[in-house]
Order: sequence, then structure tokens, then C-alpha cells
Amino acid sequence: MINRRNMLQGMAAGVGAAFGASLLPRQASAASSQSGSPKRIVFFMQNQGFDPATCIPTGMTSSGSLAKAKLPEPIEALEPFKERLHIINGLHGIHTSPSHSAFFGALGGYRGSDGVPPSASTIDYELSKALPQTLLPHLCIGMDSIENMRTKPTIANLSASGAGQPIFMYSNPNQLYQMLYGGISTGDIRRQHEARSGVLSQIEQMAAAKGRSLPIADQQRYGQYVQGFRDVNGLRDRLDTASDHLRKFAPAVDERYTKPEFETDWHDVLLDLGISALTSGITNTLTIGSGRGEIFGAWKGLGIEQQGHNLGHMTQHENPIWIKIRQYNSRMLVRLMESLESVPEGSGTMMDHTLIVYTSNNADKQHTNGANWPVMLLGNCDGIFKTGCFTQLDGKRPINALYTTLLQVAGQNVDRFNMDDKLAKKFDAATGPLKEVLG
Amino acid sequence: MNTVRFAWVVLLSWGLLSAASAENYTPGQKVTKDYDSFAKSFLASHCVDCHGETDPEGGLSLHDLGPVDEVNASTWTSVWAQVTLKEMPPKDADQPKVVERLQFSDWIVGELTRVMRDKGGFRAHLDPNKGNFVDHDLLFGSLPDGIKLELTSSPARIWRVTPQEHITRLNELINTEPKFDPEKPGLRTHGDVVPTNHGGELKLYFGTDRIIKWQGGTVAYATSVKSVPVVLSSARAHGLKNYPDFYSVNSAEATQIMGVANDIIRYMAYGPLSIANPEQITDDPNSYKMEGDIRGLPTALVYSTKVVRPLTPVYELMKEEGVTDERLRAAVDDLFETLTFRPPSDEESDAYLEIVKQSIEKLGKKDGVVLGLSSLFLDRDALFRPELAENGEPDQHGRVMLQDWELGLAVNHALRFIKPDEELRKAIVEGRMRTRPDVKREVERMLADDSIRKPRILRFFRDYFDYDSGGYICKDSKALADTGASTRGTSHYRAMFDATASTDRLIELILQEDKDVLKQLLTTDKVVATRTDNVYFGRKRTKEEIALSVAAAKKAADEQKKKEAAELEAWKKANPGKKPPKSENQKPANVNHNVAEARLTGPKDYARVSHRSFGNGSMKPERVLATAPKGQRLGILTHPSWLVSHSDAMDNHAILRGRWIRERLLGGGIPDVPITVDAMLPDEPHNTLRERMRVTRETYCWTCHQKMDPLGLPFEMYNHAGLYRTTELDNPVDTTGEIIYSGDPALDGKVGNALEMIDKLAHSERVEQVFVRHAFRFWMGRNETISDAPVLQDAWHAYRDSGGSMKALLTSLLTSDAFLYRKVEYGRDR
Repeated sequence: MINRRNMLQGMAAGVGAAFGASLLPRQASAASSQSGSPKRIVFFMQNQGFDPATCIPTGMTSSGSLAKAKLPEPIEALEPFKERLHIINGLHGIHTSPSHSAFFGALGGYRGSDGVPPSASTIDYELSKALPQTLLPHLCIGMDSIENMRTKPTIANLSASGAGQPIFMYSNPNQLYQMLYGGISTGDIRRQHEARSGVLSQIEQMAAAKGRSLPIADQQRYGQYVQGFRDVNGLRDRLDTASDHLRKFAPAVDERYTKPEFETDWHDVLLDLGISALTSGITNTLTIGSGRGEIFGAWKGLGIEQQGHNLGHMTQHENPIWIKIRQYNSRMLVRLMESLESVPEGSGTMMDHTLIVYTSNNADKQHTNGANWPVMLLGNCDGIFKTGCFTQLDGKRPINALYTTLLQVAGQNVDRFNMDDKLAKKFDAATGPLKEVLG
Repeated sequence: MNTVRFAWVVLLSWGLLSAASAENYTPGQKVTKDYDSFAKSFLASHCVDCHGETDPEGGLSLHDLGPVDEVNASTWTSVWAQVTLKEMPPKDADQPKVVERLQFSDWIVGELTRVMRDKGGFRAHLDPNKGNFVDHDLLFGSLPDGIKLELTSSPARIWRVTPQEHITRLNELINTEPKFDPEKPGLRTHGDVVPTNHGGELKLYFGTDRIIKWQGGTVAYATSVKSVPVVLSSARAHGLKNYPDFYSVNSAEATQIMGVANDIIRYMAYGPLSIANPEQITDDPNSYKMEGDIRGLPTALVYSTKVVRPLTPVYELMKEEGVTDERLRAAVDDLFETLTFRPPSDEESDAYLEIVKQSIEKLGKKDGVVLGLSSLFLDRDALFRPELAENGEPDQHGRVMLQDWELGLAVNHALRFIKPDEELRKAIVEGRMRTRPDVKREVERMLADDSIRKPRILRFFRDYFDYDSGGYICKDSKALADTGASTRGTSHYRAMFDATASTDRLIELILQEDKDVLKQLLTTDKVVATRTDNVYFGRKRTKEEIALSVAAAKKAADEQKKKEAAELEAWKKANPGKKPPKSENQKPANVNHNVAEARLTGPKDYARVSHRSFGNGSMKPERVLATAPKGQRLGILTHPSWLVSHSDAMDNHAILRGRWIRERLLGGGIPDVPITVDAMLPDEPHNTLRERMRVTRETYCWTCHQKMDPLGLPFEMYNHAGLYRTTELDNPVDTTGEIIYSGDPALDGKVGNALEMIDKLAHSERVEQVFVRHAFRFWMGRNETISDAPVLQDAWHAYRDSGGSMKALLTSLLTSDAFLYRKVEYGRDR
């Protein structure tokens, strides 16, 4: 059945250019909203694995408070935020066969591999539907080497809206900026925005004209196609009219967009755009793929000369290269949290209603069987999530259990996510949410 | 209600009923009856006795069901399925007359369609899985009195291109596929479909035909090359996947299409320069220095300088300075035809020319042309194929025959994934695609010419047999290891994607012979195979045989060691004081003790696999045409590609296999699983699948399962990787089954194993007719109705009279009224 909500979800799957009837969230019509429940979620997926030794404080072998612990060097930037941090070790993703990467299976909780299409939707997409409605339900950004981001500015490896329906990540900040803020841009971006707008409007008119003579049975189906363009164009118009509001949040375009010295210039501005999409209320779900779910990637801007697959073959613990990458990730997480904290929401700030999930698309390391899948959660959403602690699990619950927890917190009545009973008998020791995560 | 009014209603109802019984009933026409006067009495006569107020059968009470509304729609849908399939009333109860049952069924469909119009619609009867709901005997037997058929036609419609059609269409813009080579007819060639890659993913690749060097291994190659995944989506797992009305194009897809268009147009204009640096394009790969580890990056590739992509007017436009109207229009018109398969009208050409000009004005030539031309990729006719029959005159039955481009493209689409060949195009342009003989001429011409590739025929067999999903079924590692198949990396999944391509090729070979096609498919002893298939077509050894094999290998190894030691000793004696040469220390061959491998040998052949997409690890086309081990296999239902496609992570899927036989060979219908059913087999690793399936024998389940399970269990002679076996859990495997309620008493009866069952079915006339029904659905893009009976009978006779020729069957179907005529029901906007 075609309805507005489906339409918006459909849009999000591509670029996201769909904005609903009213701009700006104002914490819009909550689909599932309950007091204290999260209003937005961020997934940060670093590729090549997340070695638990790079996040668990030295000496901590069992669950406990982080209050007196010192965070390891790679994530020390999170020290001031550790009362909102929950480090979880001992989830598993054996059934996802990660090896080099579980690809869609990392957020889907199912078997994934290079070149294998998604076999079901992923958790970020499902949450984007369950969280309070925003204009663009889901935004995915991907960070990679500058060459890869230029030649493949959109790629889909991590998120999916259903079986065989990948959701694309955006990696060229100029294109993403044009999409989000074309209406308030100037210069080249403005020109491109206007040209593209003109073409899209004409496509809409032509599509609509060719739909007028269709038989009744086809009109609704074809209408969905035409409506898609109307939404894209309508979104642009509404964004244009809301430019005063957006201007407050839109990042300033500088040379890092047009003449990046390193790939990290683009990583930084992509994050800026992602943050602004959250703070301006454009979206409620942000997926960040650092390394874009593959086994390559580069961070030359951090002074790391090596790149690509070799990074994954290195031991991460006490490795200066991986310390730099993880520190960079942590600084990004801090930037995210500080930005969200700076925006009031209700009686607190946006960060009070946000959860950040940091993990890898590749469990704990390269060539892993997925027996351990470390995760960090940031944000307590008014006490819904337990924070300020480290939890050591026994390796008997899958990442799907964490995803089930997130769906339940978002108001969905589910006991499992992407795992039928047959599979669960083998891969999940319990049913329902991960109690250790809830406050 | 007062007495007088009540009397009128009774009189009127009686009048209507008697009028109805006196008239002929034309299936498909609206049943102008209401609940009170018609459906209620049907329920009262045939249903309420058992499904009454107290203690109703199956807990379903129908006495107060009432007229169809959105609340009781699901109950009415069940009633519709049960009555239509003749499941109800039960066989031992009084049966409604044929016409009465048909009218009741049509009435429910009409009412559900009306009531659910604004609530998601009612489409169950249009689903190909419900095609068999039309009584087989009414289609192929003689019609009882009281039924009058209308002349058939199909609805006017637009037909969305499939993801694979779309990718194949786009591929024409940037890659030059090789010409057909009659010496190697199995090799992928121009006009064949772009196949899925090593991982089962459908992608469009840029410039792989020019890559002459790369850094890194297979994964690095796959990441370095420019590729875009398919954008249009489809989601059906089994069965026919391409009815016109399954899918639309959502805005996410549309936006992505524009992005892909951008890449394609740039590649059309500049070739690999659009995706690589100039120094990467050289015929001397060593002149390009790759410094450091750049695996997985676009700069890790070297392209040859030879231009192999098609050079089109887009190239001509971009290679020279400035812009002329003539060049622009040539680019627009050419691109339009490649994307929509027909030339643009003057209005269309003008409109797109204007868009491109405006874009150039805003962005300059380089970016403006790309943006402007990308709009063509979103033209309605680039994504949907219209069959609107807008130009013809309706005949006396209100049907309009397709003509010119619509007819030509319908014929083209029936066989091809790329645009019409020159002859067909000429026929369309010259007004020679307007009549039935025109269609016959073109269909016969195309069918007779092997160099005109016809991938859509193969697509039908994939949809019909469902043998192409083995590589997508995720296997439990231990369960897979138990089958005897390799669990190393992704080797099993690669083997399954290879197996799909092999089965494709086997079907092509049978189609080439074009004799008794269905029977051959079901009973051939031929196998198109890779080396890995020696395992998959092998036999899983018994526990004792494995022990013997291990012991024999150990013995052989010990003897070899002894022999080497003795030789060493002799050498030392002969060369005292000298250091003996290093032993060659050969590693023992990696023997798979679990499997008695088949020896599949025979003439060389080729299968249509994707071009290099994964470096050295890409799929290889080389195959042999071999004979399967005697007494173990019979036709493609016993090949691993089909068996694994009908399995799950842990075991065989006997129910799915049985359902396949029931629906695709016997023409039976299975109602949807009631939502109250917890469809789970017990998890008992020490019991066989047959033992675990005891739960389906509970009365509530068995009504349906008796029609599937005994047809699927004979395939227990294979394990879930498709290997032949004689034991299961170390006991002799039980492979018995039974055909019941087939509709042909000669078929019914017990069978000892799958081979016996298949042999029986392969000789059945009814099975042939059911095959024809499925072909009808695929090529008409809709379910058959009783009005299609003459078309189906003609098609079956054409097939039978020609000795089982697929070409004859196709020619009959494609020249039928159902294919040629459209009925148009327009909306308010028109």
C-alpha cells in the first residue's frame, strides 16, 4: 500500500531527498514516542574490526563501573563522556560470517559477504521507521580514500531497506551538501543545484504527462513513480523556504570540500554534514561507514602512510596506526556529542535523546569468525540505557539481540531481529532484549 | 422491514436466481448478485452445516459471516481459496454445480476487490502462485453447459523492466559484447543477459574489458574496478518474478538512476579516462608505477589504450569543441532509442533537447550535457514498457490489437533483453508489425537464428524450475560439512552460482534439440559440469565406507613412507658418506573421504558467466557435457542446482520440493498457510527430516501437507548439498513417497524414490499441460482465466503435435489473442 510514510522511507533509501509536509522535526509526530525514548540514533561503523583491547580499560576483566577506570589511549578522548559510555564485550556475530567484513550482515545480523546482496533490511533502516518522524528518515555517509570517494561517490555496503534493496552511502560532500543545502548555497554548488532542480522539475512534468493516459489499474503504481519526483522537488522547495532555519545549522563550505588535501578533509566535512542533518532536524538516523564496510580505506591526513587491506592485517592493540585511527574516531564521536549537546531539546539537549552505537562491520578483527563483537554505546536517553560501565558478556548472544533491544526501546514489539527461531536455537541463548544494556 | 417489502425482496431474489440459472454464465464478467440473494444461500447450503454456530470445524464459524467488508476480508479470502480449489465442500458432501462454484468464486473476488480498493487492494487472485486456482479440467476438458466464454485478451498496461533487463540495457551503452561464435555457442555473447557475478550480485562493470594489470588479489580487484549495483529492485524468491504489475520505480531508485546515468554518460564520452588518471591508460603496463600498497583503489588498475566501448553520438558530441543542435539532437535521439528501444517522437526529441540546452546554459557543455542527458534515463519508457494499445480501433468485443512499436517491442520483449534487431526494427518502421502473420513471421525468424540471443526464454525456465537460488541459501557450516561438500571460504556458494550457469547451459542444449523439451528436462542423464561437480554429483559415502577410505589412505601413506625409507637406505649404501638429496616431500593429495566422486567427463562446453569481475577469482565459463552416474540422477530436478535451491541452512526442504511438484507439474493449488500456524519442525538432530515432519501429519496441517510432503520426500535420496546418498544418520535412507489427488488417476500411487516419481510424471499429458499453463503466465504476464482455454489448448496441441517443440509452443502463444489484443479500462483523467 502506498502511503506517505512508505514514500518517505522509499526516498530515504536513495538519497534522501524527501521531506514531509512540514519542515523541521519539532520532534514531529512521534511514531512510537514515549517519555525519554530516543529520538535519534547514530551508527558509527569502523571497518577492519574493533579490537576490544583498544577500548576496555586495562585490568578490567569483568563487568563494572568505568568511574574509576582510565580509558585506553585510542579512546581517551571519550574520558570526559565516560558516564554516558557503555563498553560491551562478548556479543557475537558468528552467523554473519564476517571474515573480511559482514557487509550488510553487520547491521542486519545475517550472513553477508563481498558482492552478496542484502538478504533483509538492516537495523538502522528499521529504527529510522520507528523513531519519531523527520523529514529525511535516514542518512548514510561513507568515508574512504579520496580516490574511491571520487570515483564511487555513492556506494551501498552496510544499510538496506529490505532483501536486495541496498541503501546508498554518500561520500562526496559536495553532492551531499547540494542535496541538503543547495537552496542556501552560493557559487558552483548553487548553480548545480539550480540546474539539477530545473531538470528534475521537467522530468516530473514529463513523467506526469505520460501517466495521464494510463489504464486505471496502472495509475496507482505509476503514480508512485511520479510522486517520487514530486517529493524530491517538494522537498527542495520546502528546504528553500526554510533556508533561514537551515542556515543556522548548515556547515560553511570551505576549500576542504573542493580542494581536499587529504581524504580526512572529506571525512571531516562529511561528518559536519551528518551532524548538521541531525541538529537541524532533517534526519533522525545517521549511519557512518568509516571504510565504507569494505576492507580498504585510508587516513593519510592522520599521518598514516599505509592504506588499504594491510591495515586490517595489523594487530590493533598498541599499534600506533590503529591508535591514530581510533583516536580520530573518538574525536568524531566527541564532536557529534558536543554538537548535539549544544542544541536544546525539551528540558535538556538533543544529546539527551540520542544514542550512538560505535562498532565495526567486521567484529573484532580482520579474518575473524565473529565470536566476539565489541560495541560501545554513547548516550543514556534519560536513563533508558545503562551507562558509565563496562559489560562483559558470555558470547552467547548475537548482535541481533542488541538490535532487538534498540527496536524495543523505540517502541517496537519484537523479540528478535532478523533471526528466526531455528537460527536462534543455535545462535542465541535467550529471547528478547539485552537486559544488560537497559538501565 | 414490513411484510409487503419483504415479499417484494423475496420475489425479486427468486426472479434473479431463476434468471441466472437459465442464462449462460460468462466467466470474468462482473457477477451482479449480492450477499443476501446469492452468497448467503451458498454458505447456508454448502458451508454452515459444519461451520455453524456451535462447535464449528477448524474453529471457523461462517453462519454470521455477512457481506464482504474490510473486517471479514481475510475470512472471505480463505473461503474463496477453499471453494475455488474445490477443497470445500469436503469431497463426501454435496458439491455445488460448476457454474455455481465459479460464480461464487468470482463474486467473492469482485466483492473483495471493491471493498479493499482503498485499503491496499485485493490482488491474491492475480498472483502467479494462485494461477492454478483455475480448474485444470475446465481449461483442457470440455466445458459444462451454461458456460459461455468471451474472446480473450490481456489488459492494457505498462510493464516495468526487470533489474536484469535494466542492467543489460545499460550495459549496451558502455560495453561491447563479443559476437556470437557458432563454434562456442555456450559462451556469453552480445544479446545475452548480464549475469550475476561471483557473489550472486547483479552489477554493471565499467572498463573491465580494458584492464591489463592490477595490484592485489581478487578482492582488491573487485573493489578497484568501477561498478554500480543494480538499482531497480525485485523481491520475489520463488516462482514467476515478472508480472507487469509487481513493481513500480520508487523515488530512491529514480534518484540513483540519475547518479548512475551520470557515470554512464561520462564513460560513453571519455571511456576509462572518466574513471582513471591518464597515466593509467597505457599498453605498457610497466610504464605505470604503482607505488606502495594501493590495493583496492581505482589507481591500482592499468587500462589498455584500445577503444572497445561502443562509440555513439554522445562520444561524437563530447569529443569536439562547442555544441551544435545537430550533434545534440543526434545524441538525444540515439540515447533515447537505446534506453527505450524505440525512436523518440518529435515532441519527445524536442523536449529532451530543450532540457539538455538549458542544462548547458547553466553549467557549461561538459557538465550540462551529462546532467541534461541523464534525464533520458528516467523517461517512462526507459523504465516501463507500454502496451497501451492507444492507436488501434477496438473490435466488436472491445479489444484493440497492439501494433507497430508496441507490438514489435512486445514480440522483442518476449525473447530479448536488448533492442530489436535491424530486421524487426525495419518491419516496425515499414508498417509490417500489425497482423498476426507479421508476428508469426518475426517470431519464427528470431527463433530460428541462434545468433539472435533470446535470454528471456532461459529466464522462463529459471522462474519455472527455480534452480537459481542455491548460492543465496546460507548453509550452517557444520551441516554443510556433514554433506561432504567443501566448507572452505565461499567455495560452496561459488559452486552453486556455477551450478546455476551450468543448468542454464543444459537447458539451452535441450532447447537446441527442441524435441520433447519438458520430458528431456525432467529425465535427461546429461550434466553440464565443472570439476567441482564431481563432488556435487558424487555419492556421500556411508560411515563404513568413510572408515575404509581413511584406512586405505593411511595404509597407502604408510607404504609410501616405507618405500621412501627403503630407497633412502639403498641410496646411502650406494653413496657412503654423502649427504642424501632432499626428498621431494610431496604433500599427500587432499582426499575427500566423505564422497565417492563422480567422474564427469565429456566434450568441452561453455556456460554463460559474468565477465571478469573478481580478478583471477572470477567465474570461469569452461564446462564439460557429461553423463550423470547411472541410477542416481534423472533430469534437472535431481541436480544440485535445483536441490539446493529447495533446501535450507540445515537440511533438505521436502515441503518446498513437494509444493514445487504439486504446483508446477501437477497444477494443484495450495492455499496460503493460515497465520495461526506455527510452521516449525522440531529441532531434533538425531532424527531424520522425515521423522521430524511427523508434526505436519496433524489433521489441521495434513489437509494441505498430504499434497506436498509425499511428493518432496522421495528427494531424500540426496542430502541438502545435492549429493546422492544411500544412508541418512547411518541408516538406510527412506525415499518413498506418493502421488495423490493428481487429477490423473494413472499418476496416483506410491513411488519408491524421486527417479521413479519423475519418470512417471514426465510421461503425463497433464504435466505437459501444466507446463504450458506456466509458459502462458510467463509470456502473457498474467494468470490464465477460463476464457484463455482455447489459447492454452492450441498451445498445448502445437507443442504436442510438433513432438514437444518449445519453438512451436512459443509461436502459438505469441500469436494468440491473449498476446496480441488488449482491453483498455481508462481512468477519469483520460
